[in-house]
Amino acid sequence: MLKLSLVTCCFVLSVVIEGLALLDLGVSPYSGDVFHETPLIIYLFHFVVDYAEITFMLADVITAVALYLAVKDYNKQVFRKQKFALEADRYPLDCLELIRSPKEMYYIPLKVAMFYLLNPFTILSCVAKSTCGLNNAVIALFILSTIKGNVLLSAIFLSLATYQSIYPLTLCAPALLYLMQRQYIPVNFRRASFWWFIVQYAFMYLGSLFVIICLSFFLLGSWDYLPSVYGFILSVPDLTPNIGLFWYFFAEMFEHFRLFFLCVFQINVFFYTIPLSIKLKEHPVFLIFMQLAVISIFKSYPTVGDIALYLAFLPVWSHLHRFLRNIFLVSCVLLACSALFPVLWHLWIYAGSANSNFYYAITLLFNVAQILLVSDYFYAFLRREHHLTYGLYLKRKDGSEATLVLK
Amino acid sequence: WLFRVETTLNMFIYSSSFTYFFQDNAGQFFSSGHTNNWAVLVCTSRFWFNYRHVANTLSVYRSVKRLGIPDSHIVLMLADDMACNHRNPKPATVFSHKNMELNVYGDDVEVDYRGYEVTVENFLRVLTGRLPPSTPRSKRLLSDDRSNILIYLTGHGGNGFLKFQDSEEISNVELADAFEQMWQKRRYNELLFIIDTCQGASMYERFYSPNLMALASSQVGEDSLSHQPDLAIGVHLMDRYTFYLLEFLEDIHPASKTNMNDLFKVCPKSQCVSTPGHRTDLFLRDPGSVLITDFFGSVRKVEITMETINLTDPINAVNGELQKETYSYVDQLPVSEIIHQKPKQKDWHPPDGFILGLWTLILLVFFKTYGIKHLKHIF
Repeated sequence: MLKLSLVTCCFVLSVVIEGLALLDLGVSPYSGDVFHETPLIIYLFHFVVDYAEITFMLADVITAVALYLAVKDYNKQVFRKQKFALEADRYPLDCLELIRSPKEMYYIPLKVAMFYLLNPFTILSCVAKSTCGLNNAVIALFILSTIKGNVLLSAIFLSLATYQSIYPLTLCAPALLYLMQRQYIPVNFRRASFWWFIVQYAFMYLGSLFVIICLSFFLLGSWDYLPSVYGFILSVPDLTPNIGLFWYFFAEMFEHFRLFFLCVFQINVFFYTIPLSIKLKEHPVFLIFMQLAVISIFKSYPTVGDIALYLAFLPVWSHLHRFLRNIFLVSCVLLACSALFPVLWHLWIYAGSANSNFYYAITLLFNVAQILLVSDYFYAFLRREHHLTYGLYLKRKDGSEATLVLK
Repeated sequence: WLFRVETTLNMFIYSSSFTYFFQDNAGQFFSSGHTNNWAVLVCTSRFWFNYRHVANTLSVYRSVKRLGIPDSHIVLMLADDMACNHRNPKPATVFSHKNMELNVYGDDVEVDYRGYEVTVENFLRVLTGRLPPSTPRSKRLLSDDRSNILIYLTGHGGNGFLKFQDSEEISNVELADAFEQMWQKRRYNELLFIIDTCQGASMYERFYSPNLMALASSQVGEDSLSHQPDLAIGVHLMDRYTFYLLEFLEDIHPASKTNMNDLFKVCPKSQCVSTPGHRTDLFLRDPGSVLITDFFGSVRKVEITMETINLTDPINAVNGELQKETYSYVDQLPVSEIIHQKPKQKDWHPPDGFILGLWTLILLVFFKTYGIKHLKHIF
């Protein structure tokens, strides 16, 4: 139960087994209000239900390997871009200490894979047999195929990830940006090649999504998985406490305002895509990281597995450590909250001496710490870019020292 | 009196030759098919100003007792005590007629459910027999499938409901279902239902069980009116319908042959202001052949025979062994068939078309990504 509070009761293996048992009895698994997984998960677990632990471990291993390969390729890209910029003399002379060398970048992919595999959140998620591990595997494969430059595979994995839960839709933008830059298509609204590429990608994405949805229809022979999976994610009927922001609000919401606040909360996930992609259009992989973080904070049923996925990316930006301002505070808060989650859960549910406010306070604090972490990295990244353009030691026009302010 | 006995004896001997006449009477005697009579008389209102409802119920009680139904076969439910009410200027009396002509309370009234015990739940439990085991016999309706039951309800009512104790209601659907339960449990042979409330006809609209006859004091949309106030007591003493019903019943004695058609004519619109209604479509016999004493009285069946029966010889069994007929109830729900049925455990398999389609697509994507040249190595 403790684990389930961190891992969201709805997306666990026991629910999948219940769905399969219902199917054996001849009843649609979506008829009860427990099972909210997609039919492809049913198909997968129909064959591997006896070997479920191995499946989840395999999914974690696939995620780690995919992240390793992706980051290795990305490092090569970063280094190549840096070399071109150096040769084109675009860097001011005093920021040479900010340049990255292959020696320091050598162990980063390994660190990323280790960060993912050894993260206590990942281990917790695997032990609790949450299907989040499979989600993470699909998203990692999507990142791998994007960074390798394979448009078709990237579209297919993105549609698989969107089919699982709707939120990876926002990863469309960074994928488009990255693929366009890799194929040297200028990111300009007025260019025809830009729109043509978008049309191609959208066609592949929507086509594969359509194919997957029709296949799911043929698996069970009915469309009732659509409201059960997507209606569930979007309309949040289940208010079991988890580490997200939705349950507490919607437990006390008046029915009259429920739709309004539902729209507000859901838009919050998708809202940051366009401004972030405008700001970070030169750096789509950082955008992927930001987007993953935003999804895992603001989605309707987050689990610690989602957090583990974007935390795995942190070694890629380890060169930003000199610009991070709040890292000590953030890490302390994250550690403390992770330790306090089970304590307050026990106090609330079992001892009865706390109430849901305590648990929600810790949830809020945890999410605030995550947001602070992400915004801190954002600030550090932008600051480094600024220094790379304007020099490390900033001087005003008259030569005195200036300070950089983030507006 | 000896002379009277002699004349009756003479009459018997004289009419013994007319055996067919006796048999004709006997035929009529046995035409109703019931062997015992019960009455359930309920007054549902409390408070002093509803004096007339208690007086209604007590006057029917008095008539029914006078016609032969004993207290053990009457369930009398009075929601309030008017005789000992502190507003009663004549304590220990309940009058049904002005000028205090008729005290219906008397010394021998046996009230089975009094005061707050008169609830919808208790009423329905009495009717259906589902009482806790500790209930005394006087509070039970111990009828069987040869009982004729008279049910009389009075109080305040509306379209489809009757108000109990000013706090709850019984609906016509509940009443109809209770009667159906009684029918299925074989708790009555025939049932006469009389109701004296406003819009009383709505209460018998929903009956659907056989052998029910119903009378009501007013139709839907009409109010039943009270008869006359007594200035000494200060309240209305009786309702019109029951007043004229009581007048009608005063003329009935255990041997009278008046039938239901006369009962339907009690209290016409000129006297009652409301239109009394009745319902006989569920009753299997013709109302003209139903005697008033079939319901209001308790007439013992007497079979008059001219033969002599010799009781000195022991009665031998017809056959050597007793014929054992096993009786069993008809299976209303085939439980044994249901519980012995186990669902066949068949596992679900994904449809073949799905598997084919999925793997074709996966293979297509694989070859698109990695080139057609791998195809050569496989085939």
